Amino acid sequence: MKKSDILIIGNGISGLFAACVAADKGKKVQILSYGAGTLTIGGGIIDVLGYTDEGTPVADPMQAIAAMDAKHPYAKVGADTAKKALDTFLKITEEEGFPYIGSANENIWLPTAIGNFKPSCLVPRTMNGKALIAAKNILVIGFDTMKDFYADMATKNIAKRLPDKNVEQLIVELKFEYERDLRDISAMDVARWLETEAGYRSFVDQVKSHVKPDTAIVLPPVLGLDPNYKILDTLEKELDCALVEVSSLPPAVTGTRLTKMMTAYAKKRGVQIIEKARVVGSEIIDGKCQAVITEGFDRQRKFYADQFILATGGVYGGGLVAKIGAMTEPVFNIDIDVPKVQTEWSHKDLFGDKKQIFAQFGVNVNSELTPLAADGKEVASNVKVVGRSLAGYDFCVEKSGNGVALITAYKAAAAFCGEA
Amino acid sequence: MAINKHHAIDPDKCTACTICITACPVTAATRKFRGPKMTGPALTRLRKLVSDDDPMLDYCSNCKTCDLVCPSGVPISTLNMLAKNEYYKTHPRKSPADDMLAHSEKMGKLITSIPLASTFANLGMTIGKSVGMLGAMGISSNAKMPSYASESFISKFKKIKQTSYQRKVVFFSGCFINYNQPEVGVDMVKVYQKNKIEVAIDENFVCCGSPMVAGGYIDDARVNAAKNAKLLKAWVDKGYDIITACTSCGLMLKQEYQELFDFEGMSEYAEHMYDSVEYLAKLHDEGEFNTEFANDSTEYIYHAPCHLKVQAIGRPSMELLPLVPGIKIQEADAGCCGISGSYGFKADKNPIAMKVGAKLFGKIKDSHAELGVCECGTCRLQMENGSGVPAIHPLTVLRKAYGL
Repeated sequence: MKKSDILIIGNGISGLFAACVAADKGKKVQILSYGAGTLTIGGGIIDVLGYTDEGTPVADPMQAIAAMDAKHPYAKVGADTAKKALDTFLKITEEEGFPYIGSANENIWLPTAIGNFKPSCLVPRTMNGKALIAAKNILVIGFDTMKDFYADMATKNIAKRLPDKNVEQLIVELKFEYERDLRDISAMDVARWLETEAGYRSFVDQVKSHVKPDTAIVLPPVLGLDPNYKILDTLEKELDCALVEVSSLPPAVTGTRLTKMMTAYAKKRGVQIIEKARVVGSEIIDGKCQAVITEGFDRQRKFYADQFILATGGVYGGGLVAKIGAMTEPVFNIDIDVPKVQTEWSHKDLFGDKKQIFAQFGVNVNSELTPLAADGKEVASNVKVVGRSLAGYDFCVEKSGNGVALITAYKAAAAFCGEA
Repeated sequence: MAINKHHAIDPDKCTACTICITACPVTAATRKFRGPKMTGPALTRLRKLVSDDDPMLDYCSNCKTCDLVCPSGVPISTLNMLAKNEYYKTHPRKSPADDMLAHSEKMGKLITSIPLASTFANLGMTIGKSVGMLGAMGISSNAKMPSYASESFISKFKKIKQTSYQRKVVFFSGCFINYNQPEVGVDMVKVYQKNKIEVAIDENFVCCGSPMVAGGYIDDARVNAAKNAKLLKAWVDKGYDIITACTSCGLMLKQEYQELFDFEGMSEYAEHMYDSVEYLAKLHDEGEFNTEFANDSTEYIYHAPCHLKVQAIGRPSMELLPLVPGIKIQEADAGCCGISGSYGFKADKNPIAMKVGAKLFGKIKDSHAELGVCECGTCRLQMENGSGVPAIHPLTVLRKAYGL
């Protein structure tokens, strides 16, 4: 394999975004991926910071980032770079014809699948929660045989949360065949149906008479499988109201759109993606990484580069390996400092509002995102770690998923391209 | 079932994340397929307790897109194939075409051994199609069946005079090149000779078994695997690298043997296995690839076969073909073509195959390319059938660029 300028391990949102940023700055970038990134099954939205450590909702994420605990990845990046990162992401979405809405300085409240609300920052236009707050009437739409979205529950909860609105529900009949030898219907199947002429017409015919003036529709993520707004735009025009998708359970339509968009942008800029490349180790000489090593069914291969970005994710994405009383990062063989006693990894109240201990395990880095070994020394000076592999944050509680990924990826890629 | 220890198949590695469902082309095309996660790892766990009788298994095409996107390294498609083979031990086959499509080598051997038989076989295929006989056999009248060559590759190979070089490889041509498109094999030898490589063949190689596994005849595949594994190991011991120009043969010999069977020497010879273009790309990296090309102003569109993607070798053809001066080549990047070896030829699967390939066909047509390029023989047939644009092997592009 030829040597690349920057080699990125992992093609989740942080790996893909780092690739886009570096390729835009003229670097020859290669991504080694093993499986699709877990962003594929995520919500497709960019949470930056939803809550403070005290559990107070954050109004301006950039302001909150500036006051972050030193251990948090954001503290190593700073608000200025964070804003640049998010603006760059917005620019990419615009160029790909799937512009996200929102700004780095403001959170938006989005309806969830059960009718609660969660703060997020940058979202696709299909999830514009503000339209919901602005409308007088809310129409929650479910589909009769679709699993994992319960219009009843969503309607009740939204009505509770927004007592001044007139909240109604409507079940659209899919009229799909339904029998033992046919698969259950997911949001992806309904999205495919809406992409057909017959499905689209049937949806409009069933919904139109229920749309009062000044209505916003809430529905599961079914407005197209690809990163564009064709279906949203035509439906909003035809029904004369706003449509707002909720984030819902995987298989995730919204996450798939984000993956497709980022991959398309990266490929257009000449980023080479080697799929199914399982990185098992690295070659470090005199404190610098020379190559990473992949292994498959045939032989080991070395991939050389000047600089390396580790974007392999956490335990779920395979970037960190947890064992009883131990955790490691397998590519650079970094021991993660964790309690030997497993019961000390978590708070008893699993879904409480406190940050979970295990969720914050990850690779320790210095202010340049260079990984540090257990003894505090740099693992390799030309390596940077980004995204969920990093220690010091619980994206689930603080609502910073994808935000930390984008912001640290930007810092790493920009620094490798000579920007401070 | 003997499972190679090194690549132990463990359904419990599946975290049920559903990424495979978002990517599976058959899932997108029909609700008759339950999806890779469910038929693969999820039901495999149940099969350990109760025998399963899920007819949906038949819909998995073994394209391996699920394996490609799985972040946990679960061999989902192989779990499906194992279950499918178990299923057919106790259930009648859906289509009489299964046996013929799984044993394409038998047919190829028969036809190319009799003078003029290929002419009659090809004619028979046309007539059979027009009178609906193929339909009665369970073969789709909509698919473009491969035609048989009048002379096999092995026969043609023996007539080629090669220059002897120090770098030596053994070429596993596979059934499709041997019986259907021997000119691809001839192109391989010509291109390799231009790069100072001597090519050997082995008449004792048998069908890799890939269509047998996909068709539910794993016991036949095991017999073939035993033969091939022994021969391949012997070639490697003699200092030869192994080359395939069919990505499904390559995947089978290198990976699926290790997943499905447990014969000696498999991981040793696998270390020396290369796709035909990958091997040239390696030469290029080492500065030894011959780039004395003539100009080629043809506009091409390249389709990466699923069975190449999953081999972790990137896109060697997209590294080398752009080196030809004047060439215009783009990657289609439109997912699976739908044919999946023998899958799309079956009458009940063909509509699914055509639906799966629709995106690729559209991409090819919209590109206004003169020729499609693809390493996989049945993908090429499907590309031609779906788009009307002829498709060739990347080695053929290189052979032409060498002015041969």
